[in-house]
This record gives sequence, structure tokens and C-alpha cells, in this order.
Amino acid sequence: MKIFKFIVSKIFLRKTILGIGMILLLCMANYITFTAARSILSTFQGYQETKYINQEGVYIANLDPDSHMDMNIIGENGSQAVYDYLNNNFNYAFYTDGFIVSVPNIDDMEISLGYMNEEYYKLNQFELSQGTDLDFDYQFGEEIPVLIGKGLSKTYPVGSTIKIEESVLGRSITLKVQGVLKQNVYHANYYALNSKTYYNFSILFPVNEAFINHANIDLQLNGLMDVIILQTSKEEIADLSEVIKDNLGLTFNFFSQKENYDYFNEYYLHTLKIISITTFILLIVITCLSIWNVLVSVRLMLKDFTINLLVGLSYSKLKKIFYGYFGILSFINLTVIFIVTAFNRYGCWLRKDATFATYGLFGLIGMDWLALLLVVASDIIIGVIVVESMLWKTKKIPISLGVLQ
Amino acid sequence: MKKSLFRPTDMLELSIAYIFCFFLNLLFDYVKTLDLDSYLLKAFLKNFIEYQSLIVLLFTFIVIIFHYQMLHRKNAEIFCRILVGDTVFNITIWYILDCLTILVFVYLLSALANVYLNFNLATNFYLVLIFITYILISARQVRKYENF
Amino acid sequence: MTKIIDLSVKEKIYKSKKSQISILNDFRLEVAAGEKIAIVGESGVGKSSLLNIIGLIDRNYNGEYTLLGSLTNNLHTSELAQWRNQTIGFVLQESALINSMTVEDNIKLPLLYAGSGKKEFKPEDFESVINAIGIKPILKKKPLECSGGEKARAVFARGIIMKPQIILADEPTASLDMENRERIVTLLFKMNKEFNTTIITVTHDLEIANRHDRVIHLERSK
Repeated sequence: MKIFKFIVSKIFLRKTILGIGMILLLCMANYITFTAARSILSTFQGYQETKYINQEGVYIANLDPDSHMDMNIIGENGSQAVYDYLNNNFNYAFYTDGFIVSVPNIDDMEISLGYMNEEYYKLNQFELSQGTDLDFDYQFGEEIPVLIGKGLSKTYPVGSTIKIEESVLGRSITLKVQGVLKQNVYHANYYALNSKTYYNFSILFPVNEAFINHANIDLQLNGLMDVIILQTSKEEIADLSEVIKDNLGLTFNFFSQKENYDYFNEYYLHTLKIISITTFILLIVITCLSIWNVLVSVRLMLKDFTINLLVGLSYSKLKKIFYGYFGILSFINLTVIFIVTAFNRYGCWLRKDATFATYGLFGLIGMDWLALLLVVASDIIIGVIVVESMLWKTKKIPISLGVLQ
Repeated sequence: MKKSLFRPTDMLELSIAYIFCFFLNLLFDYVKTLDLDSYLLKAFLKNFIEYQSLIVLLFTFIVIIFHYQMLHRKNAEIFCRILVGDTVFNITIWYILDCLTILVFVYLLSALANVYLNFNLATNFYLVLIFITYILISARQVRKYENF
Repeated sequence: MTKIIDLSVKEKIYKSKKSQISILNDFRLEVAAGEKIAIVGESGVGKSSLLNIIGLIDRNYNGEYTLLGSLTNNLHTSELAQWRNQTIGFVLQESALINSMTVEDNIKLPLLYAGSGKKEFKPEDFESVINAIGIKPILKKKPLECSGGEKARAVFARGIIMKPQIILADEPTASLDMENRERIVTLLFKMNKEFNTTIITVTHDLEIANRHDRVIHLERSK
């Protein structure tokens, strides 16, 4: 340790620019790896969620991009007719969210409301930390049993009630907390799997037929956008499309399991490949620059190393010192990435951004830690390449008295 | 007599460092023009495009490293040149001129690439200013090696 | 007298892309403890290469080298480092100092690597070396702030700080004036007299060479 401290402070730190250069290059490498790792992990998490719904006989609705939605010609009767048709002929999973209300809570967050029917709830297998599963057989007009996110559980424990002005029903209602979701439960956007909504400050409503019938057109239309039709066939889906077209004037596409699978392969897999290859190329370029930087460093420090080798330093000790030095630089970078990420996560709390506020060890969620682990792995690989290059260069010019004259 | 401190390998090293920075900037500009239909790829690239100037600026540090190590390596040569009748002023001027020549050459190459890709010529110009600053700062270090 | 060095080199080859040079062909050297040996010869005959071999820096040669009764050819690099630290002291030209460190740090450098060594080092040993060489006033200075003579004495102090059994001096006086030259030579011989230290000096200066017990003339290989 004494030798390490001595060499680092008396040789490496005396050529600060070279050290800063290495830190910056490592910082770039770490940022690229971290960003790519999080993109891939986040997409993978989203894909895991779609796996629940991507089954044989399941079709997912999607508004045709060329279909123009004119709210002036869409009436409540039209959307109600579509739901009547759905209720009579299909099993379907209904989900919609993004409705914001103000509910007093100790973190002073705006609250996001999510609505789901029983089929959707069963498909997604929400994990609870307290309370019991959602009850969909409640009497409309009484207290509605709901699930809440972890962030609200401090203000509203299981069994407590919440009074809110509910916009989709257009009246004041009372909610009864039936259960609390585990921390960081999320919902991924089916068409942008890496984009998520966290439920830490959400209230999840159980939606049944009576609820839909009483809800306004916003909820009904929004719910249709991502409606998932279960245990059905191509022919029945074609009829449904006709009904929607006739009643709402909108063209909907329904994608089957195979189509979704093909879409994933074509779109996501291809994109993930591009991200991985780009990251790999960038890392190779940065590694080459790092090698150049350390070779330059060795060239400038050769006399210092030679004198140390003359008076008793061995190559094996020098190797350990190089690895230790690189480890410190890498640790500095990891700390910077950790702080920036934690600050970003904390920023969501400061901005009162309920859909992105998350809980985690030191503010980082599991995906962040996994990405950091991948950064450590990439640092180890770069470190081995860089340090071995340093040693190769040091040994390439054998220590000799000539170096000193 | 050759009065330059630069050897062909030094010129090559500095040219590569400049080319790398200009190329990186050009690459960012090119990516910005792409009409990507992949949301995921767009989100990934956004993480870099948003910080284009900062990222390119950080990478220009390799040019600082070049100047630093170049002058360190040439300390004996600078001293010897002064011993045989050269002056710090002349050596500094030669150093600046050599660096500027390489910079202008690389900038012209990047400008050609900008013309070819139909990009604004000014998008790379900020790098020229940064590199000139580096050259001037490093040129002031030449006098440090007046005494060996 | 005890034989301290027994070196036999068949040849030492330097290779470049276009040619190769062979030096020290069939060279043999035996040195007794406390002996003072000067190595002279024209440039390029292998004087410094010989010191590199004796100093356990260079092992890329064809031959055998026994130091203090131990065959060194198969020693691990960390063992060689230990030998260099404990047994051998290098007295080099004044430029062999690390400019970013103070003179004191430069002199104390071998102590850093003596941690697991057998020799015990006391602070008063450092004081006595410094006083004997007369460099106390420059201890806190950086090498670039010192004169040539001061730097030469600092290099000398570093070479003897571990009280080595062998001192290898490579042109230690090459760039010094008469006064400093005499000072260094006197210090070298004083070490030899007081501690029976073996001295091997590479020099171009025949006057200095002739003050050694034995002068070895190296000649270019035919």
C-alpha cells in the first residue's frame, strides 16, 4: 500500500493531464455502456410484461395511424355500443391510465389514476406488499375498492378511505384501500417497450361493466386504444373492427400473437442489435484511445519507472500498481455515474413527477444497479487491455542504465 | 534546415486526433438528420445528441494530451536548438504554424465532408476555435523547456 | 578472499530489424569481496551492458551468473528486484534522478522497497549518509533546482543508502568538474574502505580507472 501510494502520488498524479484524459475516456465508455445497458434492460422488462398477454388467440388493438379521430362526430352512444358488443361477444382485458388528480399525500405528489378490468388484472399478476387482491364485484355507487402504490400507503394504509373528485365518472366518490402494490410496479407501453409508467403514486381502479357504462367517453375511448381481446379468432376480430368502424368511424388494427412476435423480431430485436453493435464499436474506439493515452503516459514516465525498478521495484508489483491505479480511476467514474443517476431519479421526486418517481437502494432501482454492474464488467475488460498494454510498453523498453543516461 | 519540432509520426498523431474530433461532430450532425422510425433507437440516441457539444468537447481532450506529451518529449530538442542558436520565440512560432497547418488541412477535409453531406459549414467551426485555443495555450509551454 | 561475483557470458546479442551485434563474447569475470574494479573501453564495446548484467537488470544473454554463491539466471523477477534493493547499489550520472520528487524522496526511494527485506534500516542511518555526503541543505529541493555536483551526490546517496555489498558505478563523474569528480571518487573509495564494499566502475577516465585495484579493458568483438 505504501509503495502504491508513493508511485501514484509521486509519479502518476504529477502528470495530471494524462490521468484526467484516462478518466474522461473511461467516463465516455461508462456512459455509453450504462445508457445502452439501461435501454436494453428496460426493453427486456417491457417485453417480459407483453409476454403475459402475447398468447395464442389474443389480439391487441391499435388505432390505425391513418385513421383520424374527430371527437365532434364520436358520441357516447357510439362508444357504448362498442362496449356492449364487446361485453356480449368477447373476453377482453381493459386498461387505461394517465388521468391525474390531486389527492393529499405526505410527498405532495400529483396522483395518476389507472383503470383495469378483471381480465387485465389476472393477466398482469400484480404483486402486492399489503392487503388483498382487487375485488371487481363491488356495488357501483358504494365505496370502490382500489389498489394504491407504495408512495401513498404511508398516508392511506390498507382499510382507509380516500375521497376524490373523479373525472371519468364526473362526481365525487369514496375509495377504499384494499391493497398496496409492491414498490416500483410498472406498466410498459406496448409500442415503446422501454417507456414505463411507475405505479408508486397511482390508484388502480377495478373496472366492471357498470363502471364502464357510467364512465365518460374519454375513458371509454382511451380504453379501446389498447384493448386486448382474449380467446378469439381472426373472423371475430374482423367483425369487431366493423362494429368499431360503424359506431366510431375509426379504423382499428388488431395484432395477433404471431404478428406481435414478428413485430418484436423485426423492430425491437433489430434496434437492440443496432444499439449493441454501436455500443461495441464505440467501446473499441474508446479502448484504442485509452491504449494510446497510456502508451503516451509510459513514454513520459519511463525514466521514473526505470529508477524505481533499479532500486527494488519488481514488474509483478508494478503490475499490481497499474491495476490499482486503473481501479481507482474506474471507481471515480462509477461514483460519478452513480451520483448522476441517483440525482436523476431524485429529480423526479423534486419535480413531483408521479409516473417516474421510484424507490431503490440509494435512489437507484434494480435496472440501474444491473446497468452499473455491466459498466463494472466493461471497465474490467477495458482495464485488463489497458494495463496489459502499459506493462507491454514498459517491458518493451527493457530497464537498462541507458534509459537514464 | 528543418526547423519544425514535428516528425511525420507526430503529424500523423495530431491529424488523427483532429480527424477523430471532426468526424465525431459530423457523425452527430448526420445522425440528427436521420429519419428514424424506431422509438427505441431515437430514445437511445437522444441520450447522446442532447449532449453533443459536451461529448465532443470532452473528446477534444485527446488533443490536449497530444500537445502535453509532444512538448514533454521534445524538451531536450528544444533545449538543444536553443543551444545552437535558435530562439524560444522562433521555436514557438514554428510550433504554432505546424499545428495550424495540420488543423487547417483537417478542417478543409471536414468542410468537404460537410459540403458533400449538405451540412452547414459552420457546424464544425467551433472545434477550430477550441483547437486554436489549445495550440496557443500549449505554445506558451515551449518556454518552459528553455532550460534543460 | 571470498568470491562475490562469478560471471561467464558466452555472448550478448543486440538485435535490430536490419542487423544484430554481438558483444561480450566469451567474457568471464570473477570479483572478490571488497575489490575495486574499473571497466574501460571505447563506446559500444558493452561496458554498460556488462553493468546491466551484473546489476541483475538484463538477463537476455547467453551465460551464467553467480552472485554471492547463488545462481541468478533462474530467479523470479521479484527476487531479482529484492537482490537489487538489498545487495546492489547503482551510482549513476547526475541525470538519474526523478525530477518530480524532492532530493530526499529520491534518496529514500530504495527504503520504500525494503519493507520485506532482511536489512533493518534506522533513521540515524539516513542522517549519517546525508551528513557524510554533505547534502542536507538540498534535501527539500527538486533535482532541477540543484547544481550538477549536488545531483551527483544525491545519486550517490541513493546508491549507498541500503549499504549494499556491491556498488555499480556507471560513469558517475562524466559530467562533473574536477572538484565534484574528486568528491564522488573519494566517497566511493571510502565506502570500500569502511564497509569492504565491492566497487565496479565503468569509466572513460583512465586516471580514475587506475586508482582501482584492477582495470578491465573491454574490446570490440572480432
